Amino acid sequence: MATITATLAVSSDITDYGIAINKSMTLTKAGTLNGLERTTGVQRVYLTDTKHIDLAKGGLANTNLADMTVTGATAAKVYIKYLEDDTSKFIRVGLGNEADGTTATANNGDGTHFEIGRLYGNEWMIIPWNGASNVGDITVQPSVATAADMAIVEYIVFFE
Amino acid sequence: MATTTAAITLTSADLLTDALSLSATNTLYKAGSTVGLDQTTGMARVHLTATTVVDIFPQLIEASIAFENKSSWVYICNKSEDETEFITVKICEQVIGKLYAGDFLWMPWSMRESANANNHHGDITVAPSVDTGMSIEFTCINEGTEYPTENLATT
Repeated sequence: MATITATLAVSSDITDYGIAINKSMTLTKAGTLNGLERTTGVQRVYLTDTKHIDLAKGGLANTNLADMTVTGATAAKVYIKYLEDDTSKFIRVGLGNEADGTTATANNGDGTHFEIGRLYGNEWMIIPWNGASNVGDITVQPSVATAADMAIVEYIVFFE
Repeated sequence: MATTTAAITLTSADLLTDALSLSATNTLYKAGSTVGLDQTTGMARVHLTATTVVDIFPQLIEASIAFENKSSWVYICNKSEDETEFITVKICEQVIGKLYAGDFLWMPWSMRESANANNHHGDITVAPSVDTGMSIEFTCINEGTEYPTENLATT
């Protein structure tokens, strides 16, 4: 059993009283104290156009990660970072399916993809991941990307 | 201009053959700029005693999608100490994932309106797994807050 620790520290002078978040969590399997024991390792993808891509595929079918069987009944955590110094550029992070690369869809009954949020240059996020086959792929779409100016995204998935 | 910084460290000494150590830090800016975010909901703590799905940021989205594509960052933490208890976190009715006891998330939030026929807004909701009482902390650091106008209805 592995022990994986994630520690978040947020500090701000946004109010006179400030905001301070200092929180650590141990990444465990669903409903247990046993640590997650599988990972994709740190992946880096280079995007040369502005199409949606599936960064990580959920469900049991068509996974792009060997042995990856993340479903709604299991636990997973996903860390994503947009490696870009220009803070006017962003990637859209969503739930869905990259479909034909031009449009992203989610198998949620109406075929629509949904944008969670945007990571601007140098921003990162960490979320739990449902990974169920009906909505669960994590997609990204860069606002700007060409062969000469690629969008670079790093991510790592911890799962069971 | 406020300065808000966020840092993450991911470590494991025994997940892989070699130790894993990953760190990242960034400053939170307004969308597409280098101007710091200047608004927040403040840190909230709630104690939920039903498994009902609840909208945790109603003040940011109700009756308005003016926030769309502005920069917002969300922190949610399940304060339960029972490892079997979790909250299901959704955005616009789609499950992002489950936060078990002690788990947190830190993510951007676009507040996009759904393309669903119901046009539901991009609400972030949580639902506890049990009705015996679960405490949750959450905050949003954002830009562009708009509040509902005064309601002068008599009923």
